Amino acid sequence: MATATTTPSHEAFERTTSTWGTITLSMGLVIATSMPFLLWMFSDLDITWAQIGVAFLAVFAVYGAFYVIEPLTYFPILGPAGMYQAFMIGNVANKLLPAAIVAQSTIGVKPGTRKSEYVATAAICGAAVVHVVSMLLFVGLLGTWLVSITPDSITEVARIYILPAILGGVTVQLIGTLKQFKGTIIALGVAAVIILVAVPLLPVISPGGTAIAVLLTIVLTWVLRDRHTRPTDPQNMTSIN
Amino acid sequence: MIHLAQSRDIGAIANLPLLWVLALCVFGVIILQSMIYMRAVKRNAESADMSKAEVRAAFRAGGVASIGPSLAVALVAIALLPLFGTPPVLVRVGLIGSAATEVASASLASGTMGADLGGPEYNQTVFVVALMAMSLSGAGWMISALILTPIFKRGSVKLQQVNPALMSVVPGAALLAAFAALTMTELPKSTGHIIAVAASAVVMLISLLVARALNLAWLREWALGFAIAGGLVAAYFAHYAGLGPAA
Repeated sequence: MATATTTPSHEAFERTTSTWGTITLSMGLVIATSMPFLLWMFSDLDITWAQIGVAFLAVFAVYGAFYVIEPLTYFPILGPAGMYQAFMIGNVANKLLPAAIVAQSTIGVKPGTRKSEYVATAAICGAAVVHVVSMLLFVGLLGTWLVSITPDSITEVARIYILPAILGGVTVQLIGTLKQFKGTIIALGVAAVIILVAVPLLPVISPGGTAIAVLLTIVLTWVLRDRHTRPTDPQNMTSIN
Repeated sequence: MIHLAQSRDIGAIANLPLLWVLALCVFGVIILQSMIYMRAVKRNAESADMSKAEVRAAFRAGGVASIGPSLAVALVAIALLPLFGTPPVLVRVGLIGSAATEVASASLASGTMGADLGGPEYNQTVFVVALMAMSLSGAGWMISALILTPIFKRGSVKLQQVNPALMSVVPGAALLAAFAALTMTELPKSTGHIIAVAASAVVMLISLLVARALNLAWLREWALGFAIAGGLVAAYFAHYAGLGPAA
């Protein structure tokens, strides 16, 4: 068994996280998907497969592309281990990645190094525990009571603005952690051109806007890298300055 | 046309004890995964020059940093309780979904049944069909991650062998581009969204500058919570000053 290895090695880490990541994600998949089927069985409501099919197609038409785009966008950032955490817990952009970025900034490692991968994995574990506790406590246990005392005006604002309120801060923290002047300019410039210019002109690409910005930034950062100060240790390549 | 008297009481069917058991199982699986992963990190961190103290610090920082986002997500999840009942909200928002995706999916699915989410036509049947569509869509995400991750992994290993420098330049740039793009997607939605992004960014900037000037490590971890609070408070005033998105 992978966990029985005694000497620390990256191979053992990858083996354990891939094997158990696959097992736990599959368990989550089965449990979560069984819920509506159990409801259907136990509630004896008059529901047909055709109704389910039509409803699913309506959702799939909007989100189907994301099934592939999101793994594609997050893999370069999370690495294989983090993928199994992210696609189990969800809330990637608003919770898990911010947790990883804060931890990397606290420890002082730059994304892309092997150490940063371990920092991110540990940070996402910490975030997962807080996630579970907050959901069980505030939604499971106190939810019904809280919903009766929270004014609609507040939940309304939280619902509409939760994402921008998180993203503004995370982006600033990320720029501070990377300390990479040229990379920052490229990423911000590319994102602005793709999201604020290209997407409004070509609404078809809007589901893939973020993925396009990510891929284009990767290419440009690589093409425009500082060639004459090539460091011997490739692990330091993320810091261009 | 005969209209069956359909109950609109979602809670009556959504609070089945069995569904509560499922919801608890989901959180059990998340905790199990985190425990296995933490053990793998602790055992092997040394191979990346990472001390036990740093492993603990990373776990703590990740936990503290997610308090702000978790409270915000919980607040949104609570608002969904009357629509879906407690166990389905726990499973949908607690697992792969985010509140925004689930609400959008549910209203798309309800639309195919001729009902608005929470509207007069939204009854138990519409609810179960909507939950079915949301769950199958969530399953699509998870299955896709299960299939694609090993494929990407082989690809990146190959890429790493061919060009190690490329793989080390990728994650930092990719991460910033992803967040810059996600942030900019919010801007055209309304003036309120712009104010939320700006307030959050300014609070973060101030927090980081103060943290650096006074060398306060705790402030770096709590900064995101303050930024979210600042963003939401600013958005609250903007929204009720009529700067929100058109309804």
